This record gives sequence, C-alpha cells and structure tokens, in this order.
Amino acid sequence: MVGAIALLLLAPPLSKVALAFGPVEYFWLSIFGLSLIASLSNGNLMKGLAGGAFGMILSTVGVAEISADIRLTFGSQVMIGGFGVVGALIGLYCIPVLIDLVATPERHLKVEENVKSVRISEAFKIAMRSKFNLIRSSVVGTLVGILPGAGGSVAGLVAYSEAKRTGKDHQKFGEGEPDGIIATESANSATVGGGFIPTLVLGIPGTPPDAIVLGALLVQGVRTGPAMFSQSGSIVYTFIYGLIIATILMLPAGLLIGRYAYKSIVTIPKAVLVPTVGFMTIIGTFAIRNSVSDVIIMLCLGVFGWLIARFGFAASPIVLGLILGPIAEQGFVQGWTIGAATNNLIGMFFGRPISQAIIAFTLMTLILPIYLAYKKQPHKEV
Amino acid sequence: MGTSSSKSQGQFGSLFISTLFIFIGLITLYDTTSYSDRDSQVFPQTVAIILIITAGTSLVTRLLKPSNEGGFGEGIWWRRVLFISAMFITCFAMPIIGFLASGVIAFTSGLIAAMHDKWSFRTVLIYGCSGAIIMVSFFILFKFILFVPLP
Repeated sequence: MVGAIALLLLAPPLSKVALAFGPVEYFWLSIFGLSLIASLSNGNLMKGLAGGAFGMILSTVGVAEISADIRLTFGSQVMIGGFGVVGALIGLYCIPVLIDLVATPERHLKVEENVKSVRISEAFKIAMRSKFNLIRSSVVGTLVGILPGAGGSVAGLVAYSEAKRTGKDHQKFGEGEPDGIIATESANSATVGGGFIPTLVLGIPGTPPDAIVLGALLVQGVRTGPAMFSQSGSIVYTFIYGLIIATILMLPAGLLIGRYAYKSIVTIPKAVLVPTVGFMTIIGTFAIRNSVSDVIIMLCLGVFGWLIARFGFAASPIVLGLILGPIAEQGFVQGWTIGAATNNLIGMFFGRPISQAIIAFTLMTLILPIYLAYKKQPHKEV
Repeated sequence: MGTSSSKSQGQFGSLFISTLFIFIGLITLYDTTSYSDRDSQVFPQTVAIILIITAGTSLVTRLLKPSNEGGFGEGIWWRRVLFISAMFITCFAMPIIGFLASGVIAFTSGLIAAMHDKWSFRTVLIYGCSGAIIMVSFFILFKFILFVPLP
C-alpha cells in the first residue's frame, strides 16, 4: 500500500532519485546487499562472505557482458550459458530440504489443533505491535524499488537487516519471528509500487515484471515520461488504482487460500509430497531454457548446498552473490572505465555523496555484529 | 563414540569446505590469465581474492579454535543416496526414453526413499495412482498448455 501511495503522490520527484544513481552507486548497493550476509550468517561472518564471493564467481561463468570473453567454462559448451538464477535458487533451497526430508521418518509439518478462524485479529495485533517496523520496511521497499534492476533482491534484505538490528528479540530471527516476516514481506510488496515509478516516469523498468508492462505500453503506442501523467492519465491512474485494489484484495485471498492450502499440504503424506516436489523441481528447471543440462546443474548445486550447509556455510549468501554479481560487476567495470578515463579512480568510487552514504551503511552492517558480539563477552574486572 | 565421531566430522568437514573454496578461488585466478580484455579480468580476480581471504580466515580460525559444530547428523543414508541418484538418472535418461518415462523413475524412487511406514497393497495402489495423476497432469500442463518442448 505504501508503494502504491508513493506511486500516486510522489512519482515524478522520486524518479529523480533513480536518475541520481550511477554505475558506481549500483556497485556499492550490491556490495551493501552482500554485506547484509552478516545478518544472515548468524555468527559465521567469514563463512557467509566466502559463500557470497563464491556466488559472485558463479555469476561470472559464461560469456562476459562487457567484453564477450568466455569465462570459467573450461571448454564446456554447456557452461557458456552460465548458471541460471532460478535453477540455482531451486537447487540450493529445495534439494537440500528434500534430501533431509527423505532421511527421517518425522512428519514434514505439524497441523495446529482447534484452529477456529482465519485469526485476522491476532494478525492485526501482531502487525500493530510492529507498526514502526512495518512502515520503515515499506518505505525501504519503495525507495529500493525505485532503483531499476536492484529492487526486489535488495529491498527485503535491507528491511530484514534493519528489523533484526533494531528488534528486541533479534536472537529469534530466522525461527519465524513475526518482525522478520513483516519486514521482508512489506518491503517486497512495496517494491511493486516503487518499481512502477521509473517505469512510468523514466521509461526504465524498475523490476523484471515492469519490463513486460513497459513492453506492452510501447506496443500500444503509449509514451512514458512525466508528461504521461497529464497526457495519458487514464492509463497511469488505472495502474495506480489497480495496484491499490489488488493490494486490498490480497488480504482475503491470502487468508483463505493460505489457510486451506497450508492444511492440504500438511495432510499430504510425506512419501507423496517429496517425489512430487522433486518432479516439479525437474520440470520447472527444464522449462526455463528447455535444457537437461540446467537440471543437472540444479541437482549438482543442490547436493553441494546440502553438503556445505552441514558445516556452517549457508545457501543464502551464495544465492545473493549469484543475483547481485552481475549488477556489481557491471557497476564496477563501468565505474572503473569512467574513472580510468578521467584519471580519477578514487574519486569515482569513493567521492560521490550517495556512494559515501552506502559505504557508511555497509561498514556499519559489517562491523556492528562484531562489535555487539564483543560487547556480549564477559570481561574480567581489573 | 558418536559424539567424538560427530566432532571430528564437523571439524574435518569445515576444514575441507574452506580448503575447497580456496582451491576454487585459485582456479578462478588462474583462469583469468587467459582473458583477452582487462575488463573481463578485474571483477573475477577481485572476487576470487576475497573468496581466498575469507575462506582462508575461516580455515585458520577453525584450526586455532576447533569446534564440535557441524556434521551430517542423523538420517538414513541409503534413502538420501537413492533419492539423489534417481534424480540424476532421470536427467540422463530424459533425452533417451522421454520425459514422462524418466519422470516415473524419479517419482518411484522418491516414493520408496520417502516412505518410512509399512507398505500395504492399499498404499501402493493409492500412492501409485496419485503419482501417475500428478505426473501426467504436469506433463500435459507443461507440454500442451505452456508449450514447453519436453522430450
């Protein structure tokens, strides 16, 4: 809702924020996104950063965007296409869970007894207790959603990290703590409205679905830009009010579908659920690029992800590195090229105000967990 | 015995993974020497160095402060191996025998691996029919409605 309201009231001024971000700002934003690994790694900072770096190396496999060099394929034709993000996501998140589910006889999920209603009042009370977190995360999601190409993947992380840092029970994050769920979901939802701002005002899609919307508008002969609000107001306001109505309708749809779908999934025997999900991972991964090789890569990553998770290396930093790697590389190389051409490399990377602010946030995110851990240790009195 | 076994598992496994990451970083650095353009080299080199430093730090930390964290934990190994092997066999068989036939291999093996209760004629019938319906439904959805060229 915050994203939709921002789109309604603040689209043209907020689009200027998007224009102020250059390649170097995108690079530092990606590094900031990776530094949030610190908040995901639960004490294993070095392992988290190693996972993030590994993910970034995976993102470089294939044809280099800038210069078309073929990298890290070792002569394999299959690897020229690189690691698909969706296949890697499926492999790193689904396969380890399936490997563990088949190995133990315990039920996959438990049904709560005596659930009488959709518990909307309970949900509302939880949301009101975290109203500051809700509003902050929505604003973060809107602002990050404005940045083309960076929105969805970073917004949830930034909001989650902030919620964990400022929350009272930050130890419970990662175990279903409501504040964490509120932070990520509200930020993620807010990116929709935020993403429409550069799409409609600048003609630059904020998120991948916005690229499809932009394509549809261009096919219909609609010209995007600030004048669109006055010349094609009917189209623009249709988007905005459609977004507001869809947001409102999500509540009853989510409550009903979520409740009954959850109950259905829980009652399915594990022996049928596991092979069904396994089959879906195969068919879903195949459907991305119609390639069996993608499925094999997905399985290899899944087994690797399961193996490293046994020893403290989480899958999330690897996925983050894979998603943010191309954004970071493009920003880094473009910034490097411009800085080298103007003989001002240091100023290019460290002299711009927005970059300096992002660097400050990054350092704070990296250093703060170490400082807090040091503070918690008991110190001997002299 | 179990506790000391899991301690050494956790210690060895963590050291092995850290070493593996260092090795991957070194391989990446070596591969960058063959690129024609400096623009292609700079980012992978930087990230590989970060990987070596962070994995190296994790390795040294673990050597200096051994810990009992980590390990394979509990779970029945043959079920894990059966499930994953079947998924891989499905992939290799797909271009030869077709998607649906290879899907039967994956589903049947997954069913056997995940079934911890006692088998009966009723469960074989119900689970088998459910599996067949699920696989055929997905096949029809993807091949004839979404036009995915399944083999």
